[in-house]
Amino acid sequence: MKRRADAVIIGGGVSGCGLAYCLAKRGFKDVVVLEREYLASGATGRCGGGIRQQWSTEENTKLAMESVRLFGQLDEELEYETEFEQGGYLILAYTDQEVEQYKKNVAMQQKLGLDVRFIDPKEAREIAPHLNTEGVLCATYCPSDGSANPFYVTQAYAEAAKCLGVQIELYTPVTNIEKRGGRIASVVTSRGKIETPLIVNAAGGDSVSLAKMVGVELPIVPTRHEIMVTEQVEPFFTTMVISFKHGVYFRQEKRGGILMGYGDPDERPGFDITSSMKFLRTMSRKILNLMPALHRVKVVRQWGGLYDTTPDALPILGPVDGVEGFIQINGFSGHGFMLAPKVVDLLAQLITGEELDLPIDRLHMDRFLTGEISRDLSVV
Amino acid sequence: MAEIRLTEHPILQFKRGRKISFTFNGKKLDGHEGETVAAALHAAGVTTYRRSPQLHRPRGFFCAIGKCSSCLMTVDGVPNVRICITPLREGMKVCSPKGKGQLPEDDPATIWTWPGQYVDKILETEVAIIGAGPAGLSAAVETTRMGAETVVFDENDGIGGQLIKQTHMFFGSKEQHAKVRGIDIVPLLLEQIDDSRAQIMLEATAIGLYADKTLGVVRRQELFGLRAQKIIMASGASENMLAFEHCDLPGVYGAGAVQTLMNVYGLIPGRRVLMVGAGNIGLIVSYQLLQAGVEVVEVIEAAPYIGGYHVHAAKIRRAGVPIHTCHTITKASGQEKVEGAVVAQVDSHWQPIPNTQRELAVDVICLAVGLSPTAELLFQAGCQSCYIPELGGHVAVHDENLETTVKGIYVAGDASGIEEASTAMLEGRLAGLCAAESLGKKAISERKEEILSQLKELRTGPFGEKARKGKEMMRQEACRYGL
Ligand SMILES: Cc1cc2nc3c(=O)[nH]c(=O)nc-3n(C[C@H](O)[C@H](O)[C@H](O)COP(=O)(O)OP(=O)(O)OC[C@H]3O[C@@H](n4cnc5c(N)ncnc54)[C@H](O)[C@@H]3O)c2cc1C
Ligand code: FES
Repeated sequence: MKRRADAVIIGGGVSGCGLAYCLAKRGFKDVVVLEREYLASGATGRCGGGIRQQWSTEENTKLAMESVRLFGQLDEELEYETEFEQGGYLILAYTDQEVEQYKKNVAMQQKLGLDVRFIDPKEAREIAPHLNTEGVLCATYCPSDGSANPFYVTQAYAEAAKCLGVQIELYTPVTNIEKRGGRIASVVTSRGKIETPLIVNAAGGDSVSLAKMVGVELPIVPTRHEIMVTEQVEPFFTTMVISFKHGVYFRQEKRGGILMGYGDPDERPGFDITSSMKFLRTMSRKILNLMPALHRVKVVRQWGGLYDTTPDALPILGPVDGVEGFIQINGFSGHGFMLAPKVVDLLAQLITGEELDLPIDRLHMDRFLTGEISRDLSVV
Repeated sequence: MAEIRLTEHPILQFKRGRKISFTFNGKKLDGHEGETVAAALHAAGVTTYRRSPQLHRPRGFFCAIGKCSSCLMTVDGVPNVRICITPLREGMKVCSPKGKGQLPEDDPATIWTWPGQYVDKILETEVAIIGAGPAGLSAAVETTRMGAETVVFDENDGIGGQLIKQTHMFFGSKEQHAKVRGIDIVPLLLEQIDDSRAQIMLEATAIGLYADKTLGVVRRQELFGLRAQKIIMASGASENMLAFEHCDLPGVYGAGAVQTLMNVYGLIPGRRVLMVGAGNIGLIVSYQLLQAGVEVVEVIEAAPYIGGYHVHAAKIRRAGVPIHTCHTITKASGQEKVEGAVVAQVDSHWQPIPNTQRELAVDVICLAVGLSPTAELLFQAGCQSCYIPELGGHVAVHDENLETTVKGIYVAGDASGIEEASTAMLEGRLAGLCAAESLGKKAISERKEEILSQLKELRTGPFGEKARKGKEMMRQEACRYGL
């Protein structure tokens, strides 16, 4: 392992590996990525792989739209098949309140140039056969939303970064970060110390504890989210279906398994990511309501991962006050995989001193100090 | 030539149930009550069930004990049913799936009234035992004897696990059921279980095990929870596959599958068998094949020595079956099912030696190349695992009392490391004793000592060497985790 580097990225998820690649591509190559376990072992490898541009805030929508464009080029650029597919996203509305909100969302999204529209329950059932549309008033549908394989995307970035000279150290947890005179000085790991003027905190749900090492309090709440997946059946729908009313999302993977998750409002903050019986039961009940035909399809796996949730459900990007050389790329609040391609591109621009092609000032940590935040409402 | 259905057998008598009919891809066939769908199809001469979704290769059963998913079929409209453990019922419609299987059509009569089969209940018990094989049943003997309320469940429709196909006589001492056949041990164990404290649930599959010791159980399409203070995992093992050209052809069967067909359902697997593996299982199953009147063409073994007991080897040699050590299989031939096999000698690195190939005309290739512990549920519950080849691969780290790194979760029998039925029964009893003891039930320390000494005895001698070594490595792992 190196003893000195221009930058050290903590976290080998999609953010850490993506950023390492984008930096190296710009000639900023003396970079080390430190990962506690294996690549994508955090939220990335545990996520639903969904890629959606239908958000209620402009920030998330813009980042997602740009990311979708980049996802489309990823396979060629990185020479890797990441299984990016544009199967669409269907968001179901059950109440007048939801309909009102979605009207605002769609107007904003269309203004930004997104191909999104309202459809009726009948068309929703054509897009997602077997869907129970009872009680559904209408739905919004964006055909260019989709999914990709999070392991492959992370691996693709990591391998491309390595080819350009980045060092990736697995099973190397960071145990301390040292400052000197208000500046980042070095990072201490289980395998020794690396001197560096720049540390990027891409540690997902663990970003809070890393920031604490240099006295920074990130307003991030780690909370478990669970997923389960069924055995494979012949593919019969390609779209991700979301119901905010049920707190549920589900899609059929390319190989045939049906993947589903829901946000449990009773989940208490913490670092526990084990699976639970409660999830299996509640998820089964919810999915059988939404797609009764699945009642004889067997569940084959379930797992949990951490959402790193901020008060406004928007990520924390860029420098923080008080510690020079400490860059944040965290707080993704359950949608960091889909935003990654653009976010890592922007942070690489920031670090190498380029002019940013999409401003991220409003995503700085200091927004929480001024109190002017507006929460993205389209979060599962 | 012998019929597929055996009518005479030196040891077993087959009482077949009522004749019932079912359809396979629309064609009417007959089977018997008490058979699995796979057994009935085999008896009707059907060996190829479906095509693999990607390469359209023929598929039949492989393990016949519900552990490999080679036999998935659409049954009465339900996709992906493991027909090797599905009891045959009158009028069943068994179909080859298109691709990966399709969802049943939405039934307008019921679609909006769902959920009907989702049961929102969590049962409670003191001890839950997963698996009703020799280890699980023995565990229940001890837990109920010590007064613990116990639920045993198994995904099969009968108890006994792999014992119900073991027609050979056991070795060891009287306590270990020496000179009794495996099949006759099951009722003996059942007799010793205090049924005022035990409930045995069949056709019940544990699909989730959580750190708080709750189990997710599916029984006849119904999901429910079972919360137990102590859990004993006695889920057995799955058959190992061997990679060679066309190893996926129907007719390549695991040794457990061949035993199941022959000794449980009274069906011969084929006419001419190549046995791969000369460990105890390979030798015993070869002998059982001979007893059933099936020709065993030869037994091959890649190692330079015979792994199983020499009494067993001597018996089949006397019957004229050659055993070739330093040999492996390199290819299965045939289009829809096995029609032949190519075997070759191997060098000291287990690589086939050129120009030593021989072709054998066989219709069954029986793989007796070891087992792997089924311990996935333990890993889901957060039990630490380690890799010990002597115990069959990935196993849950456990202490001398068979308790894993998650307190209150125990493992016994093949699931704790591959051995055989005698040690599985002793381990089951040990886990049962320890679990009940930790519930505060009155402990009988002499009994524990006695079980430990019997285990030690079984593991001494040249044939216990592997298990001894494996368990020694396990002791070191357990220390690492502070057990
Ligand atoms: C159940 C679930 C479903 C989700 N579904 C979606 C979805 O459909 N679409 C979507 O876009 N997003 C989804 N998300 C969110 C998405 O997974 C995350 O926002 C995204 O993966 C964040 O990536 P990351 O690289 O920032 O963090 P992570 O992937 O968590 O990576 C952080 C890495 O840092 C490492 N680390 C932590 N501490 C240390 C240390 N001290 N030293 C060294 N390394 C350390 C961790 O091991 C980890 O590998 C979901 C999340 C969950 C949990
Ligand atoms: S699961 Fe049926 S053959 Fe293996």
